[in-house]
Amino acid sequence: MTTDYVSRDYVSPFDERVRQPEPLAPRPARVAGRTVALLDITKNRGAEFLDRIESQLNEAGAVTFRSAKEIFSKPAAPAVIDEIAARADLVVEALAD
Amino acid sequence: MPQGLPGAGLAPGSPAPALQVTGVDPGMVSLGDLVARGCALLVFVSEECPTSAMALRNLGPLCRNWEQAGLAVTAVFEDPLDRAIRVARRTGWTGGVVSQEPPYETSRAYGLLAVPTTVLVDRAGVVAGTVVGWDQPAIGALIEQAGTLLGTAGLPLPPPVEPLRRPGCSSKAAMDPGVAAAISRPAADDEMEEMFERGWTDGLPVVPPTRQRVEAMLGGADGAVSLGLVPPSMGEATLERVAACAVLAGCRPAYFPVVVTAARAMLDPAFNLHGQAVTTQPAGQLVIVNGPVRRAIGLNIGMGALGPGSRANLTIGRAERLIVTLIGGAMPGTLDRATLGHMGKVGFCIAEDEETSPWEPLHVERGFEPGQSVVTLIGSDAPQNISDHRSRTPEDLAYILAWAAASAWSTNWWPLAEPSVFVICPEHAEMFRAAGWSKQRLREFMFDAVRRPASELRRGETTPFVASADPAAAIPKWASPDAIVLLVAGGEAGRYSAVLGPCTGMGAQIISREVESP
Repeated sequence: MTTDYVSRDYVSPFDERVRQPEPLAPRPARVAGRTVALLDITKNRGAEFLDRIESQLNEAGAVTFRSAKEIFSKPAAPAVIDEIAARADLVVEALAD
Repeated sequence: MPQGLPGAGLAPGSPAPALQVTGVDPGMVSLGDLVARGCALLVFVSEECPTSAMALRNLGPLCRNWEQAGLAVTAVFEDPLDRAIRVARRTGWTGGVVSQEPPYETSRAYGLLAVPTTVLVDRAGVVAGTVVGWDQPAIGALIEQAGTLLGTAGLPLPPPVEPLRRPGCSSKAAMDPGVAAAISRPAADDEMEEMFERGWTDGLPVVPPTRQRVEAMLGGADGAVSLGLVPPSMGEATLERVAACAVLAGCRPAYFPVVVTAARAMLDPAFNLHGQAVTTQPAGQLVIVNGPVRRAIGLNIGMGALGPGSRANLTIGRAERLIVTLIGGAMPGTLDRATLGHMGKVGFCIAEDEETSPWEPLHVERGFEPGQSVVTLIGSDAPQNISDHRSRTPEDLAYILAWAAASAWSTNWWPLAEPSVFVICPEHAEMFRAAGWSKQRLREFMFDAVRRPASELRRGETTPFVASADPAAAIPKWASPDAIVLLVAGGEAGRYSAVLGPCTGMGAQIISREVESP
């Protein structure tokens, strides 16, 4: 009984497909013993932020590794995503400057 | 038992009266059909009532989930069907919609004094509960009661957002008929306003994309053909949707091949439309047209070439932007995060005056034949005027043109890897022609002319390149002469050229494509 309210008289410019939101992965209570990827999107000073996060994660017992996008304004290359998915339990992404 | 605000309505246990209503798909709707899969939730509303709108907005997104669990949710409007549909769409209602005409027999049969009134009807067609007005806790309890009747736990409940309770408005069934008729008298149905209600606009009035207009725009092309996904929302650019955008923009069907070719160019991954569409910087998508199609469709290459006055220029550029904003979802203030933007983001299409130009046109520089019609896309900032009425040598004029761009993007952001577009007016172009300057000579002169010592560029924002350079090193404004794009356009009188600064940080390439029939 749900209804599409696009009138048949007009052609909609919208892509009306309803997309299901991706569920969030479960959040672990602790980071100790976990592997955390630190993704630098290559925006100005993002690396400094990750340096601080990395030292705090290491103090909390997490294992970390660094990864980077080629350019901040494009989606990460599949190889970058695949490596993070294969190696990491968690990921921290440093966004804009 | 859920308790609503004081009011009317049938007591629990009463048989639910039949619905005397008109549905959307099409014709009448029966209560028996609604309860067949479990229970029915009837939400009585009217267009003029703000509390009804609030109820539709709060409950609307949940209807699909409830439907899946067997709870058929229907808004019963005390308004004509077309207005009911419009209100449903505007409020994000995802349940069913039915309409009743005066004298609102269904509302009367349910004993309504107020809208909204929400009635739960069980599988046997018996009223299980009624809530009058907006009463979030009571409606939540009604939904839980529906869950119990359906044997389903965890039906989503309306969010507990303030105000939790709000009185409704008088049901039209409870009004004097004359009063009900007076407030129901439709305002002149305004198709132009409806386009705004649908969100099919860039903020300016649009041409409604009727089926007939869209088919004329397609000109027999298959509307199901896909040009690809438009970022950032990855809506699919079917030719039909692209045609709808062209209609909305005000294009004539003759422009459609250029619109489609420009759209294909925009969607080339090397253009990085995704980055351009969502960036905080102002960049728009500049469409440059070369070749015979310019004159065939009446693109303005002369007076006011960067301004208003030409339907082809304005609507082709606007169609591209509507593709980005409507199909791609990059509306300013939502996914388009531009801090300021610029007016070229309404639409930005220019054509080169190849006949006046002393040089090979842009598309020939980019490898096409002069007789080919070509569209070139460049991510671009707003135009900045360059007045020069007094230079008497090509060197002086080239110096003035080039240094006007010294602060393009940012004062001390040197060098720029991305293209700056210079639109050279005919009188300026004539000086270079008379002196026998080639395009490449002008480009290299401009590139060499704009240099400053690194030490003078170290103030405020500067580039890592400047920061690490020898203080005495002469830093050029551009990373190479190739970052200077030269076009000729504009009125025959007046010595005003312009520079359009770059879109930076996107790795966005210049994309050229030959115009083809879609």
